[in-house]
Amino acid sequence: MSGETEAVSLSGTPTTAELAAVSNEEETRILSDAIRSLPPQAVKDLLNSEVCIACILRLFGFREHFHFRSSISSSMLHSVLGESEHLEHYGILAGSKSGEELEVQQIVCRMCLGILQYLYRNDKGILVQKLSADGLAASIDEMIKQDGHEIDGFSLELSVPPVLLEHDNAVWSYMKKRYGQEVGIAEETSKCVSVKDALKLAITYPIENMLDVKSSSIPSSFRIRLTYSQTKPSSSMAKSPGETNGSCKRRKTADVNGVPVRSSNFSGDQKSSEPCNFPLEKVNEPYYLALVCCRTPIYIGGRYLKFSRNVSQTRWIIDDERKGESSVEEIIGSSILPACQGDSYKFHAAGREDIDVRMLGSGRPFMVEVQNARRVPSEAIIKETETKINSLEEKLVAVKNLKLEVNNGWGLMHEGESEKQKQYCSLVWISRTLEDEDVQTITASKDMKVLQRTPIRVLHRRSPLEREKIIHWMKVERVAGSSQYFLLHLCTQAGTYIKEFVHGDFGRTNPSIGSILGCRAEILQLDVTDVKMDGF
Amino acid sequence: MADHTVQESNDPEKQGKPEFLLPVEDEGELRKLLVPDPENLPATPSSAVETNFVSYFAPDFTKPGHDQYVYRHANGLCVVGLAPGHLAFKDEGGITAVDFNVGKSDRSGMKVTGKRKKNAQHFESNTAICKVNTKADSYIVRCCVKGSLLEVNDRLIKQPGLLNSSADREGYVAIMMPRPADWLKVKASLMSGEEYAKLREVRVLN
Repeated sequence: MSGETEAVSLSGTPTTAELAAVSNEEETRILSDAIRSLPPQAVKDLLNSEVCIACILRLFGFREHFHFRSSISSSMLHSVLGESEHLEHYGILAGSKSGEELEVQQIVCRMCLGILQYLYRNDKGILVQKLSADGLAASIDEMIKQDGHEIDGFSLELSVPPVLLEHDNAVWSYMKKRYGQEVGIAEETSKCVSVKDALKLAITYPIENMLDVKSSSIPSSFRIRLTYSQTKPSSSMAKSPGETNGSCKRRKTADVNGVPVRSSNFSGDQKSSEPCNFPLEKVNEPYYLALVCCRTPIYIGGRYLKFSRNVSQTRWIIDDERKGESSVEEIIGSSILPACQGDSYKFHAAGREDIDVRMLGSGRPFMVEVQNARRVPSEAIIKETETKINSLEEKLVAVKNLKLEVNNGWGLMHEGESEKQKQYCSLVWISRTLEDEDVQTITASKDMKVLQRTPIRVLHRRSPLEREKIIHWMKVERVAGSSQYFLLHLCTQAGTYIKEFVHGDFGRTNPSIGSILGCRAEILQLDVTDVKMDGF
Repeated sequence: MADHTVQESNDPEKQGKPEFLLPVEDEGELRKLLVPDPENLPATPSSAVETNFVSYFAPDFTKPGHDQYVYRHANGLCVVGLAPGHLAFKDEGGITAVDFNVGKSDRSGMKVTGKRKKNAQHFESNTAICKVNTKADSYIVRCCVKGSLLEVNDRLIKQPGLLNSSADREGYVAIMMPRPADWLKVKASLMSGEEYAKLREVRVLN
């Protein structure tokens, strides 16, 4: 029988108030009623085959009872079942209220292998027995505090070995066969609450309480992951996965607000043709539990400017030697990382410029991805970080509009690189005097098509292709005191190689400034003055 | 399409300046960064080739008077072509035609694809790339460097005159990609621009 007979209605997520309203006595009474409602022989059968009370309850679909902090003591069981033998035996399987001592070697439940008994081996291999969900919550709390995390919410992720579903199947089949006529089990489909669902129900509130936060309906970036497994987890699993690929990947959880979806991959009758292997095999060892608390990556974005012609965008090291003085990535990342107290960072930008090209004007959009941040920086802290970067002595790089990105802006970065127009200013020299006609010719062209073969300087690592690009507009600014130098301002399609457009790259870019003016043209320096992208 | 942020300058009187504002609040600051100091500008700056390539020369390559150059980029790619002292330039009328159909295949027909440069043919340094014709004679141009042939300058087919006007730039013949070990071997047999200039009494590098 399900829990519809309880005095307190506990449909959906019980609120803190509702839970508090149910006193210990109430809880115990409700639990006892639940046990009483089951065929006593079935209960005894299960207890004798070393199935814990929690598994008995969940087998028969008692869902809301997992929210309870109390448990059934051995004495209570005694009164419910009216039995006198194997008391200690039952008691051990029932778990104990806080205060009760556990003297005897724990019997591991054969169905949940200790999970719902809060019995497990920790990452050091030591056997741990928590008295209740609160004990587990306390361990989690300790771990979070030790690592220095500041959190205002969390998402719970549980992983249990799939064999547990087989256990549920086997026991349910047996129950149906043996006790099917008696109340509640004659139905086709099982009401069994999976171990994962039951655990989630049991520990969500204690964790919320201990951490003083809510497991909210909006998935939090902070992940608390419990992984139960047969074998000792390798050290890389037990560590905070900052160094693994994609650390703390957003895993789909069955629910986020404490109300589990019925385990859909459990169908009680699926294996009706198989023999019921009940009782289950004796279990000597509980599972190993790997507890991981970490944050999924957070993103801090903005626009950067690069004033130096000796700073690369990303760290550039060849043969153990660094190219350039520093990199935009390191200058920005090394300030953002401590602000978030993260493990590591990745730098992403909407396109890039050569080491000897300055990034001026509005700046280039970028994003720093921080792994396992211990805190999500506030607006004030971010502002502070922006000021810090801009006040660095060497003034190589500056940042603008630094802010926490809510969406990870991936699409924007790629769009910015491949679609958005860019504006440049280059210092050009030609092999003859610049005439007014030349200025006219250049300025008059609008949306000029240019065919560029892959520049020789990148041909070693890019495909040999001929790419058509568009020069949207150009303006000539004469340099006072010179007849052969001028500033060329131009706005081009994303992906246009400007240097090659000026000097022609052995004629492989056509037209080029040289070919347009009918002389030799060289580019002395290049600056990016605008990356036309909104939203950053 | 992104917005093109062009604003009207509030001071259209400024001579020689473009009438648009650069896209920052403080346009003046940006302009200061952009405008060069004419005092610091060299009369003739070094060319892109001089800056990014190291020039090598192979005088009398396989045959007297068949002078060729190899411009090597820092990334290992080599641009090959006819050096100023090549006999072909001495013939009256200069070079009149270029034919890539040499040896077993038409070199201008190959298609190299992908970052790994699939389908690039591997050649020895004396493999023929093309034939250049003058009124009087014809001359074979060779790879000079052992490696993969990445590209030939097929523009020379329609515009053979490029060789006469700018053999060292638009008139290049081909691009080769030698393996590091092969480059070291051939490098020993090449001479520098300076040495070549002395040898032939010509000017090299603009």
